[in-house]
Amino acid sequence: MLSSRIVWAGAAAVLWCATMLVVSLSQGLAPSKPPDNRPIAALASDLVSSDTCRSCHPGNYASWHASFHRTMTQVAKPANFAAPMDGLELSHDGVDYRVDRGGQGYRVRSRPSGAPAASFGPPKEIVLLTGSHHLQVCWTETGLGRTLGQFPFAYLIAEKKWVPMSHSFLVSPDIKQVYEKGSWNDGCITCHATQGRSRPEPNGYFDSQVAEFGISCEACHGGGREHIEANRNPLRRFALHLSGAGDPTIANPAKMDGPTSSLACGQCHSIQAFTNAADAAKFDREGSSFRPGMKQLDARTVTQPPRPGQPKEPAPREAHAFGDSFWPDGMIRVTGREYNGTMASPCFKGGKFSCLSCHQMHPEETDAGSLNDWKASRQMKPGLGESDDACLQCHQTMKTNLTAHTHHAAGSSGSHCYNCHMPHTTYGLLRALRSHEISSPTARETTEFGRPNACTLCHLDQPLAWTADKLAEWYGQKPPQLSADDRLYSAGAQGLLRGDAGLRSLIAWSMGWAPAQKASGLEWFYPYLIFSLNDPYAAVRFAAWKSLQTLPGFSGHAFDYTVNDARQKEAVDLGYRKWWFEVRSAKVSYRPQTLLRGDGMFRQDIFDRMLDQRDQRRMLLTE
Amino acid sequence: MNLSHRHLRYGWWTLFVFLALGVVLETLHGFKLGWYLDVSNQTRRLMFTLAHAHGTLLALVNIAAGLTLRTVKEVVISPRASSALIWGSAILPAGFFLGGIIVHDGDPSLGVALVPIGALLLLYGVGSAARSVAQGTASSVK
Repeated sequence: MLSSRIVWAGAAAVLWCATMLVVSLSQGLAPSKPPDNRPIAALASDLVSSDTCRSCHPGNYASWHASFHRTMTQVAKPANFAAPMDGLELSHDGVDYRVDRGGQGYRVRSRPSGAPAASFGPPKEIVLLTGSHHLQVCWTETGLGRTLGQFPFAYLIAEKKWVPMSHSFLVSPDIKQVYEKGSWNDGCITCHATQGRSRPEPNGYFDSQVAEFGISCEACHGGGREHIEANRNPLRRFALHLSGAGDPTIANPAKMDGPTSSLACGQCHSIQAFTNAADAAKFDREGSSFRPGMKQLDARTVTQPPRPGQPKEPAPREAHAFGDSFWPDGMIRVTGREYNGTMASPCFKGGKFSCLSCHQMHPEETDAGSLNDWKASRQMKPGLGESDDACLQCHQTMKTNLTAHTHHAAGSSGSHCYNCHMPHTTYGLLRALRSHEISSPTARETTEFGRPNACTLCHLDQPLAWTADKLAEWYGQKPPQLSADDRLYSAGAQGLLRGDAGLRSLIAWSMGWAPAQKASGLEWFYPYLIFSLNDPYAAVRFAAWKSLQTLPGFSGHAFDYTVNDARQKEAVDLGYRKWWFEVRSAKVSYRPQTLLRGDGMFRQDIFDRMLDQRDQRRMLLTE
Repeated sequence: MNLSHRHLRYGWWTLFVFLALGVVLETLHGFKLGWYLDVSNQTRRLMFTLAHAHGTLLALVNIAAGLTLRTVKEVVISPRASSALIWGSAILPAGFFLGGIIVHDGDPSLGVALVPIGALLLLYGVGSAARSVAQGTASSVK
């Protein structure tokens, strides 16, 4: 006979287990309420999400998961922040910001600079993050539905530094705020999320939804619903494996012709404009109906200005907003829009060339080390990297004829295909990047369109006449009409003094580029880079500072490029003194073509004249 | 041939083979070979692990069958059931192993088609043995 104590204990245990079961089931089965202070993930008609792809394509999932595409936009969980956030305090444009823990991660309070501590306003939760490669940006709730506001700073990941958002792009110094309320919902959502729908409401708020935050599988492969349904049948799968045939239920850019494949990338990596207001409204409401494999974008066109000699077409809607994004001859000059360059390349016209001729989205090796290498190589195909092999895939005759073509020593940077045909003439995210319009260098592109040519981006010390002479001698190019300055003075020095802010950034960046330092001699870079620390554009100051750090004696040189006041002038003064008294070698004789006297002082008359001729137009180069 | 002896001999040899496969798999772990361990090869890893686990377990089942036949006189299984047990024990893990040699993303290769055949043979063999044991023990009780 069981004692009553044991019976009661057993009954209590059963009751406890039953309670736990009921609570667990109710927790698990109750639908979780989506947050109402930020855009939410909600699948659209034909999309199934990357989680569904994972079970059948684990390797491809792993490479995508390791990519920066995935982390284009993330929910602001503490683990997703690139920066340490606890105790963060920043000030910008007359406002102090303080970050503390709260909500699902962090919250921001603000007050007018200098106001009492008690005057910090109500907290706003940081709800989304964009970027994870070069910089990361935080977006906050606004109290206006799912409309986002911007924490007005960007975190530079390599530099481990918070900077005002307006100092993370090339922005005219009079612009203090780059984004406004709703900018993410109305703009970023299109390419920083998969199948974004901004969903503006009549009251001016947004009720934005995305299929997935970040760029996921279905952005490049199209909706997977039909593919999943069809491939539940193992016989179908094995028939496809054995035949090697493509699966018509899913798009695979690696198996498309060049232009179609490239457009899958170009749906984001291009300058676009809506064709008309009705299409734009539908796009905002329902998201893109373009799916990889289609030959044209929907509701939008890729904006490509007419080339010299081409008839001018009516500008599409909103195209004016991208005016600074192109060189005067129509070549793209801003990063993130590589499709504009690729589609204008001669290689593209053959029908086989695509982004995937050089890049690979899913490397075969999926161990952590290989994936890190692949990310660091800008997702290049294995072995291509910075070698010539990407070009030699097609231009095979160059293998045996390289030095006769390049007129540079084999193995030198001058014999490297990219350096002449994809020079660093695009800019964005505080750095120069290779042009994706594959072209041949000319002196004319500099005289007529103001774009530095590949020759003088490496031989920064040489005048443009030197380039014209070499190109005439080697390739029979007709020299353009040159000014007296172009015959006498370094194109690099001229660009840094007379060029617009975009050109100054490119030249300042190039002075930190090892091949240019080797080809041009770097002694004369010091005064120019120190002078450029005073540039009115923060982006130019940043490029000059980073390049200066690559020069002997200035490694790790401290400088805050975000300030533009007496402290900056003092820092520049100190830098100049350091160079003049500690680093400069008395044995070096500076060449007159660099606008320096033999001892390294600027040739003041010419220097001042060129500075007076500087292109002062307001510029905005974002991405 | 004596069925008991046949199951014992088969069981011990296949136990040796599949334990050896286990050593090979541990070696692949030890040298961190991507061919086996990378995420893109997780189907191969699953197939080889299943081959090792099933092969080892089924070897023990055959040893148990041999010992049962040897020690319990009343239990008699038919030669057909004995063959089904042995062939099933061979074909099922072999199917997993062959399926893992070449993989197509989340799918094994066609060798995996042997697995259901082996499974059916095993079901028949083990079912027959179970019935024989039940009948044998019942008669001994009488």
